[in-house]
Amino acid sequence: MADLSIAVRHIGDVAVILPAGFINAHTVREFEEALEGQVQQGRYKILLNCKDLSYISSAGLGAIMGLIETVRENDGDILLSNLQENVFAIFDTLGFTQLYRVFPEEDQALAAVAPEWKA
Amino acid sequence: MAAKVDHAQFRLVIPSQTRYLNLVTGLAKRASLVAGLDDATAAKVSIAVDEAVTNVILHAYRGEGEHSVELELRFTEQALEIHIWHTGQGIRSDQLVLPDPKEYIKHPRKGGLGLLLMSRFMDEVQFKADAVSGRNECCLIKKIS
Repeated sequence: MADLSIAVRHIGDVAVILPAGFINAHTVREFEEALEGQVQQGRYKILLNCKDLSYISSAGLGAIMGLIETVRENDGDILLSNLQENVFAIFDTLGFTQLYRVFPEEDQALAAVAPEWKA
Repeated sequence: MAAKVDHAQFRLVIPSQTRYLNLVTGLAKRASLVAGLDDATAAKVSIAVDEAVTNVILHAYRGEGEHSVELELRFTEQALEIHIWHTGQGIRSDQLVLPDPKEYIKHPRKGGLGLLLMSRFMDEVQFKADAVSGRNECCLIKKIS
């Protein structure tokens, strides 16, 4: 099994990115390319559904951090949902839960970023 | 009669390549469970080890993959110790400046968070240099409560 696989769905103008596996220094380029690809397409509302993300190191946090200003300058945002306990602990320990909006479920995140969206 | 063994330890040597990170962090997590730490703490130890080994590969060895990283896991009654040795560029504990998370949130940027995660998730993080062998060490300690 690959260390990381990434699926992308588009719901309205929201890009839902689903990383599955491990984001570390070995896999971070793939994750970065997935994020940057959405921004290059002009999609600035990005939802990271982390239900299948087992693990993220500072390399992955840096990739998210590297784009947050760009998306917010374009009236977008990066949201997080479905964080597993250990992934939440990493974000929370560094205070990132104050910087990013975190939702228990994808539906709730979509409702926040795209009010017209209905489950 | 066999001599009393007051701790157990074993070593693993990996090439300085990020493709082996997952192997090392998996080992660290399982070793933490063997040491008696709970699941959540074991996950934190594995992240700290990921950060420490990544620092060695990317910074101490500047991404050069032909070097070695040696890890030793020591199990004692009080703690799990993970020692990481390399012959690349070393750092000393007194040279470290940990980023302030509050400043990070005000001024987002890439990089610098690995050391912070290590220090938050472990009870002790030490950097040492051995002038005789020329090796540098990062030692991570997690106490067993």
